[in-house]
Amino acid sequence: MAYKYVGKSYIRPDAISKVTGKATYLDDFRIPGMLHAAILRPTIAHAKIVSIDTHEAESMPGVVKVVTGQGCKIHYGDNIRDLTPMAVDKVRYIGEPVAAVVADTVQHARAAMEKIKVEYEPLPIYTDARQALAKDAMLIHEENGSYWYLPTLNPVPGTNIANLYHLKKGRGEEGFDEAEVIIEGEFNYPLGSCSALEPHGSIVWFKEDNTIEVWSSSICPTIIRDDLAHAYGLPISDVRVRIPDIGGCFGYKSDITVEQTIAYIASFVPGYPVKWVATRQEDYTSTLIAHGIRVQMKIGARKDGKLVAMKSTILHTGGAYADTAVNITVAATHNSTGPYEFPHCDSTGYTVYTNTPAVGAYRGYGHQESQIATERMMDMLARKLNMNAFELRRINYLCEGKTNALGEMMWKSNGNVAACAENTIQHVFSSPKKVEDDQYYYGRGFAAVMKSPKGAPFSTKGCYIKMNIDGSVNINMGGAEVGQGLRTIVRQIAAEALKIAPEKVRVYSELDTQFSPYEWQTIGSMFTMQGGRAIVRAADKLIKILKATASQVLKTDEDFLEYDGDFIFLRNDPGIRVAVGDLARGYITSDGITIGELAHAVSDARLPRYSNPDKNGQGSMGVTYTFGAQAVEIRIEKKSGKILVDNVVSTFDVGQVINPLQIRGSVLGGVTMALGAALYEELLFDAEGRITNPQFFQYHIPTLKEAPKQIIDFIETPDPIGPFGARGIGEHSVIGIAPAIMNAVYDAIGVELFEIPVTPEVIKKALAAKAEVK
Amino acid sequence: MTEKISLTVNGKLQTIEVEPEMTLLDVIRDVFNLTGTKRGCDNSTCGTCVVVVNGKAVKSCNYPISKAQGATILTVEGISQGMTLHPIQSAIAESGAVQCGFCTPGIVMELYGLLEEKPEASEQEMTNALNKHLCRCNGYEPIMNGARVAQELIKERNKASE
Repeated sequence: MAYKYVGKSYIRPDAISKVTGKATYLDDFRIPGMLHAAILRPTIAHAKIVSIDTHEAESMPGVVKVVTGQGCKIHYGDNIRDLTPMAVDKVRYIGEPVAAVVADTVQHARAAMEKIKVEYEPLPIYTDARQALAKDAMLIHEENGSYWYLPTLNPVPGTNIANLYHLKKGRGEEGFDEAEVIIEGEFNYPLGSCSALEPHGSIVWFKEDNTIEVWSSSICPTIIRDDLAHAYGLPISDVRVRIPDIGGCFGYKSDITVEQTIAYIASFVPGYPVKWVATRQEDYTSTLIAHGIRVQMKIGARKDGKLVAMKSTILHTGGAYADTAVNITVAATHNSTGPYEFPHCDSTGYTVYTNTPAVGAYRGYGHQESQIATERMMDMLARKLNMNAFELRRINYLCEGKTNALGEMMWKSNGNVAACAENTIQHVFSSPKKVEDDQYYYGRGFAAVMKSPKGAPFSTKGCYIKMNIDGSVNINMGGAEVGQGLRTIVRQIAAEALKIAPEKVRVYSELDTQFSPYEWQTIGSMFTMQGGRAIVRAADKLIKILKATASQVLKTDEDFLEYDGDFIFLRNDPGIRVAVGDLARGYITSDGITIGELAHAVSDARLPRYSNPDKNGQGSMGVTYTFGAQAVEIRIEKKSGKILVDNVVSTFDVGQVINPLQIRGSVLGGVTMALGAALYEELLFDAEGRITNPQFFQYHIPTLKEAPKQIIDFIETPDPIGPFGARGIGEHSVIGIAPAIMNAVYDAIGVELFEIPVTPEVIKKALAAKAEVK
Repeated sequence: MTEKISLTVNGKLQTIEVEPEMTLLDVIRDVFNLTGTKRGCDNSTCGTCVVVVNGKAVKSCNYPISKAQGATILTVEGISQGMTLHPIQSAIAESGAVQCGFCTPGIVMELYGLLEEKPEASEQEMTNALNKHLCRCNGYEPIMNGARVAQELIKERNKASE
């Protein structure tokens, strides 16, 4: 459908401030009286704290206060309250806060921090879920099961299992009795990092009037506010959290993370704002990390290719604190079917405590981690059935009338994965494959993808619009701009809904819990869909108010009136009209008497009928889905084993493109990020649980020369939930890349791979093993 | 302990007292409060701290301040004229290259160092320059597109002023 402002490219409202260096990020704040914190981290990943000597640090230049966790009673967390702001008597991972120095400068704080002496008594270190699940494994949290947790969770006391989620669809595992062919495989998506260019950081200020002010590079100001209010016994309204420009998120700046630590430190120096910004190393060791998901998968099918049953087991190396990992495990578990219908499913997800930094959200949220298995196994199953892999997928795609693992019926409006696949296949597989030459092997690989958002019962997004006397509007929402471009989307959707030029829509530029409408957090690729719907609903209310006032001015009933962005007018006689600007403050009559209401409106939107899981782990937990298909063309350099990605094709059914330039940018970036995960990125741990590559020069993320050519297309099957038919796309582009590359490796050299990153060493080893068999 | 350094920053001659272990980035951000120049890694990998020193793009996070004695420094705040953006800024703003924006100032200054010195720079030279910068948002294609447009705008501007 053609719209006036939706579907066209506009420059971002924040582009000019960002190219001129005027955009203000957390570290750019300078507040009078501000002090700086440096945080000491342990030298081993799991140990009892025997003693901490702060004496020498306290007498160092510029030092105001040295803080330890001794006696700290605060426990926090949104899902499980297993976190403490600072280690109390035990450290559980290498990046944990052990002590902190507050000083007049960062340099002084760091110099004094070096003088703190800590004596540790080492404990066994588990950096992988399988170690922590061993029968004789020591408990990382002896309290497991006794912390407060959400009623939907299921910790297993006496083990390192922070949460156990089980899903059963149909007859579950018994369904395999209908299968004629069964295949199994185990796949691994290792620990990684979001690696945003801006390190995480916060400023916290305990004020003398018993209020708290916070600035953070976070996407969840309301969670931070509510959590700090709870921890310090204040009314929620007395904690104010502000979010400046954010230099990239990709997941790990969601949920409450570093803020409680900085607040704890700042609580020792009331009256002074305390700033902490992660060093690049701390951004890897001491903020949320990613993935760590091992998938054991079993698929049963009939000889004609019809899928009948799936069993999947997700072993999640969740990290030392599981508050942020539990829902990723759940998402990885119920989305492990990928975009296919299995009549019978038996899926189990274990979130396991380990001595690694806590895993948190990463673009894709469990989907790429389990679908790496699904998409590899669809190719493997096709070979076993001697069937075309595209045909195998086609007859099993989730589409209208099919039911997913959660028991949700798919509608036509959920999107068309078959059409995405067809388009992607056309681009990559319609010509013959290049033939091996002296230098290279050539391969092509495919993956279809599906993603649902991570919802929550309280994941509503609010919107406030006020109209001014020139007909322009200000719009205020709680959605965090991390770079994804939501301010542009807000502007275009509001313009379309209010029938006014985008230039007349001024979009909010920062978040402030004092003024911003409620939003849980800006996650799950849900802002366009839910936030956009909130805008449309608020715009409808605003137009209704304008009409109510106009009906008094024009002396007629509201239902005779029309709105066109400039005027409210009589439907059958448009000459009888009143300008909307004249209605903005109510209508002022010629004698100065004002009638009618202010033209402002508040609304909100959530996913309709989102629910918690039932006893089978099923329920309306996805509500909306975006489907897509991705394919890659690769070359493998024979000499080095290096994979060169020549072309990546992505097709997604997004319902309605809002901004073509931005949506392309989103997919370009997602694909490049996933390419990093597939080919280079993995956080490495030594025996002491130390991360051995916590720097950009060690944890390599893709550079310009490694970014492939990309073809990006969209199918638009409108979704009635979203604004003008749009649905989410922010995360989806990362999901299919790793399995597509691994499928392409098989196509090139006939080697089955089960884990990433696919480094040159992996390829050389695979080639050598293959040569030996020959 | 401290030493005296004179340098020209965005057209203004400045004399300051600094600790000798400070880097140019420390001075730009914490002495001059020019926060457009970003700190992304502190070990000369990410490129967010790039500024132009004596006409050349350099990473300021590993540039000892003593080396900057007498130097002419340009930061991202110093290349627009009032409301008129530098051609690189307008090209990058419009090409879709800006997402989170944290890498943007460094990229703008990298291109400034290259294209103001060498407007005829080859595609390879632009690629080599931009390959020194990390961007996690946009897959680099829009940055390269913006760089090409910027180059054309600079050539046109230079031609018009001949």
